[in-house]
Amino acid sequence: MKPKYIIAAIVVIVFLVFGAFSLKKSLTPYVSFAQAQKGGTVQIIGKLVSGTDYYDTQTQKLAFTLIDDQGHGQMKILYNGVKPGNFEQATEIVAIGKYQNGTFEADQLLVKCPSKYQGLEQPK
Amino acid sequence: MLWKILLFVVMTLIIIFANLWPPPQEKLGEVSRIFYFHVPVAWVSVVAFLVAMINSVQYLRTKNLQYDTNSAISSRIGLLFAFLATVTGSLFAKAAWGSYWNWDPRETSLFVLLLIYGAYLALRSAVPEESKKAALSAVYSILAFVTVPFLVFVVPRVFKSLHPTDSIVDKSMKIQMSGQVSSLFFPSLAAFTVLFFWMYHLEQKVEMKSKKEA
Repeated sequence: MKPKYIIAAIVVIVFLVFGAFSLKKSLTPYVSFAQAQKGGTVQIIGKLVSGTDYYDTQTQKLAFTLIDDQGHGQMKILYNGVKPGNFEQATEIVAIGKYQNGTFEADQLLVKCPSKYQGLEQPK
Repeated sequence: MLWKILLFVVMTLIIIFANLWPPPQEKLGEVSRIFYFHVPVAWVSVVAFLVAMINSVQYLRTKNLQYDTNSAISSRIGLLFAFLATVTGSLFAKAAWGSYWNWDPRETSLFVLLLIYGAYLALRSAVPEESKKAALSAVYSILAFVTVPFLVFVVPRVFKSLHPTDSIVDKSMKIQMSGQVSSLFFPSLAAFTVLFFWMYHLEQKVEMKSKKEA
């Protein structure tokens, strides 16, 4: 009886470890800037480099630069569309699109905003 | 009976108050009100999976089929609440980030959790023999619960995610909410937890009745 349990336990552990590793690889859709430059539609995440954003209200194009979390990689983003309302407050920005000729052309922008739940007096 | 009426009153008040009482949160605005439902619902799914796991351990120790039934019931309710957390989360994500679903680590991890407990139900329906089914699903349920803390609590804190991780407690476990928000959030958490145990109890009664009739 005993060896049977041990073998079963080992099999289970091996599968769990294998599962954990493969899950870890596929759990995040956000790729590094270097990876994004290789092409294909991907999602990248970073922080806005302040002062780099420019929005053309006529053509509805938004250009800005993202910096990755290690703080060395930078990526120029061009977004065709209306600027998201909470763009300035975003702590992190996700751009979904394709890298082409030196810029990342985003079809969609997602923004992460600081979410504090405080019952302070209502700012009117 | 009294506590059921009380729960009804409390739940009604929570729904009314959640929509009217706390000021709309900065940046998020009125959509932030889903917070009072999204978080408790996700919390209940964790509680339900924990109850399922405890019942599975009890089954393996005693071989009493009642524990197996309890474990199945709790997993079912847990799956329902995890699904509700996914739906409310998806709506919340659309409003807060700008996309219903973009495979953010938080979304993927919850999806994996749904698959894991969905597989539990599939496993149960695949084994006809009572005691074998009970033993297999008990072992599976315990293993499944091992993943819960990781998928629910660890993933969004380790991986870069759009999902906030410090809205309720920060890294040093200090509560980050204040004022009306916490005065409403904690009762909501408690009410949803009581609601779970009520559903759990009701399901037990239903199962018992259908077993008697069979």
